[in-house]
Amino acid sequence: MRTFAVALVLSAVALAGVPAVAQEGHPLKGSWIGTWAGNTVHGNDMFMVLDWNGKAITGTINPGQDNIAIKSATLNPDGWVLHFEAEGKDKAGAVINYVVDGKIENLAMHNRSVTGTWKSQRGSGAFKITRQ
Amino acid sequence: MRTSTSFRARLAALSLGAALLAVSPITAHHSILAKFDDTKAITLSGLVTLVDWTNPHVHVFMNVRDAKGQVLNWAVELESPIDLKQSGWSPETLRPGDGITVRGISARNGSRQAWARSVVVTATGREVFGVVRTPPAAPLSPRPVPKFADGQVRLGATPGASGYWAYPSATALVEDGVTVAMDPYGQLKNVGDAAKVAPMQPWSLALYQNRQRRFLQDDPTYINCKPPGGPRQMQQPFGVQFVEDRERQRIFTLIGGGNHNYRILYLDGRGQKGQVSGDDDNPLYYGRAVAKWEGDTLVVNTAGFNEDFWFTNGGLPHTDQLQLTERFTRTDFDTLKYEVTVNDPAAYTREWKATWNLRWVGGEELPVYFCQDNRP
Repeated sequence: MRTFAVALVLSAVALAGVPAVAQEGHPLKGSWIGTWAGNTVHGNDMFMVLDWNGKAITGTINPGQDNIAIKSATLNPDGWVLHFEAEGKDKAGAVINYVVDGKIENLAMHNRSVTGTWKSQRGSGAFKITRQ
Repeated sequence: MRTSTSFRARLAALSLGAALLAVSPITAHHSILAKFDDTKAITLSGLVTLVDWTNPHVHVFMNVRDAKGQVLNWAVELESPIDLKQSGWSPETLRPGDGITVRGISARNGSRQAWARSVVVTATGREVFGVVRTPPAAPLSPRPVPKFADGQVRLGATPGASGYWAYPSATALVEDGVTVAMDPYGQLKNVGDAAKVAPMQPWSLALYQNRQRRFLQDDPTYINCKPPGGPRQMQQPFGVQFVEDRERQRIFTLIGGGNHNYRILYLDGRGQKGQVSGDDDNPLYYGRAVAKWEGDTLVVNTAGFNEDFWFTNGGLPHTDQLQLTERFTRTDFDTLKYEVTVNDPAAYTREWKATWNLRWVGGEELPVYFCQDNRP
């Protein structure tokens, strides 16, 4: 009987697959990977690292030699609406000002997403990043 | 309809049970409402096919004939084996083939699962698997606080004795002076009361409300058996036990809920720094705790928490800036007063405090409970 019970539960677990992972602290904190579609200056793919220090959202896009600093960011918990502005440079050194507006989706999930739009002097398009 | 556990029936139970459980997160000791809807009453009558007597929750599988005459297997969830055993029940209370009637509530996801509020044996009319949680009877007059030879208060058992602390007078974290209606798992009766619970920042209030509206189903302790760090360890159903190692100037806190893990309170004067090749500078589920005695009160300062768990049963958010000041006062032999001051400037607008008491359960060791049981 005991063996059968164990088999029953293990079968259930196997079928269940990987369970959802829980929500933790501030919803924006962490590493994010995604795309800003059609960005001909900084490429289609992007990485972001975001943090919350208790007063402000801080972070960097594409951390490394060509990183893009986030100048300001706000999160409105009423609808979990994100707005941030960032300043990068093209290969010639010209300043590119980015404005991104999006919304957190699947808030309760560890791998939640932000979807929305981006725009700059050089273009605009869809924006989507997923928390890692 | 009466069947036995023939191979075919067992195979059917295996398949159906797997299918039933596959559509929802694996259970642990959790808010009942996370999985079941208390507005959906259900009555099931049929035959027991299997009793799965395993933590975190016992399941009784039963065959039930539906309105079309089709026999379907249902999974009926009960309290933990520890709760049931302490209430006088055993795996042999029901056997395959026994006829039973279950009254309870249905699973939120529509699967053939029910939470049992009563189980009645058809043949005898006897109700079984009822759970009664009552703290030990209070003595007629308070017993004196036990002390070491030098007069220091003992938080644990005296030599040759055993015991632990359980039956917290509050089972969810709420700021002192606030009264809000909630169930034992911290689920608010009215989510509109959320802002009263603690002085949250807007984002943490919105997150707390989101967790409440989802009936606490995202609780990492429920989904992933994450440790009940912070003050949550003092509100677990299976209590905490203190083991005082005075030679090494530390107190081990053994935790009866979660995964039966432990926390060390250091009294040797060290700072809140990680140890090389030990916890280093990694944030921890239980943080780093340094303690000192102030008279008969043990004062513990803890910092260095990670954000991978919920530090309260009700889902109040925290960040890695969380710092706790806990005060443990054994006011008499059978009563432990626990006070916690929460300082997390990234989640709350100010410091706040909560207080509750725990009862001494003498003559027993901690129940052996692992929420990871029933998992691969």
